[in-house]
Amino acid sequence: MSVTASTPRGPAGARVSPGQPLMQVRELVKHFPITRGIVFRRQLGAVRAVDGVSFDVLRGETLGIVGESGSGKTTTARLMNRLLQATSGEVRFEGQDITRLRGAALKAVRRRMQMVFQDPYSSLNPRRTIGAVIGEPLVIHGLAAGRTARRRRVSELMELVGLDPDQLDRYPHELSGGQRQRVGVARALAPAPALVIADEPVSALDVSIQAQVLNLLAQMRSQLGLTLVLIAHDLSVVRHMCDRVAVVRGGEIVELADNEQLYSAPRHPYTRELLAAVPGARRDRRRIPR
Amino acid sequence: MSAAGEPSAASTAPEPALAPATPGPPLLRVEDLCVQFPTERGLVHAVDGVSFSLERGRTLGIVGESGSGKTACSLTLIGLTRHMGARVSGRVLLDGRELLGLSERDMRRVRGAEIAMIFQDPLSSMHPLFTVGRQIVEALRAHRDIGRRAARERAVELLELVGIAQARRRVDAYPHELSGGMRQRAMIAMALSNDPKLLIADEPTSALDVTVQAQILDLLARLQRELSMAIVLVTHDLGVVAEMADHVAVFYAGRIVERAPAQELFSHPEHPYTWGLLQSIPTLFGPRERELRPIAGSPPSLIERPSGCHFHPRCPYAQPRHAEVDPWLEPLPGDRDHQVACLLAPQLRRQLSSQPAGGRAAAGAIVSGAGREAGA
Repeated sequence: MSVTASTPRGPAGARVSPGQPLMQVRELVKHFPITRGIVFRRQLGAVRAVDGVSFDVLRGETLGIVGESGSGKTTTARLMNRLLQATSGEVRFEGQDITRLRGAALKAVRRRMQMVFQDPYSSLNPRRTIGAVIGEPLVIHGLAAGRTARRRRVSELMELVGLDPDQLDRYPHELSGGQRQRVGVARALAPAPALVIADEPVSALDVSIQAQVLNLLAQMRSQLGLTLVLIAHDLSVVRHMCDRVAVVRGGEIVELADNEQLYSAPRHPYTRELLAAVPGARRDRRRIPR
Repeated sequence: MSAAGEPSAASTAPEPALAPATPGPPLLRVEDLCVQFPTERGLVHAVDGVSFSLERGRTLGIVGESGSGKTACSLTLIGLTRHMGARVSGRVLLDGRELLGLSERDMRRVRGAEIAMIFQDPLSSMHPLFTVGRQIVEALRAHRDIGRRAARERAVELLELVGIAQARRRVDAYPHELSGGMRQRAMIAMALSNDPKLLIADEPTSALDVTVQAQILDLLARLQRELSMAIVLVTHDLGVVAEMADHVAVFYAGRIVERAPAQELFSHPEHPYTWGLLQSIPTLFGPRERELRPIAGSPPSLIERPSGCHFHPRCPYAQPRHAEVDPWLEPLPGDRDHQVACLLAPQLRRQLSSQPAGGRAAAGAIVSGAGREAGA
């Protein structure tokens, strides 16, 4: 992992005072309506994807959100960065309620929180070069104005995440899965965010490559003073990466605890069930003499 | 034979049976299997000189990353690469009967009856327009002389066997009406319909949630005990292998680079690639602060494979001559069951693996039992 010592600008709000909430989520609800009929649409009910979730994201921490498919973990992430509009509840980011923001104010907030997606194959535009993909947030937010300045900043970012800046004019399909995910991380870091939300950042990668990306995320967090929210279904990954962990099921948080506490002494039966289901944990049970 | 990249250079040595627990010939014996796919960009060496054998009632875990040849190998066992334009050589013997030379008609009798397969994604491997029951009935009637009504009764029994509640009602359900775990159970029921001797399970739980995965693995283990089937379990998940497999074969670039009884593999891994795999995954056991050590680089292209030892470009211990010499899969001194294809001297490997950065330190953390042994 070749990260140069000459770090580009850290996040603009690098005044890291651990323990202060960077984001406060209160009673967050997202219901997706189930409708029938085309002309006379009527609502039959609602999928309660997120159903009254409250938690803080502390400055400088890595918060893990684990759950099975359909638990509402991805919806929660999308509500946090306003890719979805909440049905009710509040998300405060850096002291400001962002649930009703629009236009320029929302754009300003989005610059400060960025997303890393699961699938590095479908989340990068195949017709744009790596340089253009990483530089896009800079254009959108009017940072590093001018072609030369932007190329320089993009090169810095590529070096930061362990990519060869000579690949700036390559296309995503020319890169391996791990390299593509590095592009995804570089793009997220481009506008110098305070918060990065990574939704299943390694689950689409090969086993031997996952560690490269996990190590990169951990390193970026400590080097740039980032706050990281890691959404995953893999309990081992979350254990390795996170300071605190929220376990979600059915749109609700069933347990939120420090890493050590959650894995050594889980309180909620569902957490215990999840931990017991991990292959390897069950080996003693299975080894029945044949 | 030592020419780099020459197919079948690895492991043409005669095969010791994996687990000489039961007398007699093994159920499945694969000898020097090669599978190649001609493509526009060149010849893909998907499987390159793979040999192994499997006893009745035992489970062989095949571990590898995408593009390691594990799926091409398992599809070839059941004769499904024939239609893909594959060039296949070597031998696949089921109960002493050679399968590769069979006509398509004869192979169709074997497939589904003696060897069955379950796939990763049950939704795309079942017909969406037919009920689950009808598909099981079809599988039954394809292989035996059985009336519709009797076949339907058997379908209900099979669904009950795999733990589907209200089987009599669910037999008329369409695949999309079942949850992911239920669909996987239904597919297992379909695979079991003709009492196969060998079940090939290709990533059977990778698309499932962890709690559902646990149920399906329990189910497979129970059925294996009750029906004394042999299972070839193809997966990238070392945890699943640690739990299910009696023996493990580690695939890299179309070859087996290490093979051992499961417990031996996790307690004394010998190949640097196996070490890399074990060190690069976070685990639920052992110290949390343990640093993840990724394997440098990416898996190689199977069209232009690296010369010599295919792992040498990613191997931290590679020496210049490893780019020229092709290693064979050879037993460890004093342990016929544990085989490794590595050019490092055994003493040096032992030394490396006992270092903190070596394989043994990390290996203990994969499974809870071994973690305690290793004193982690």
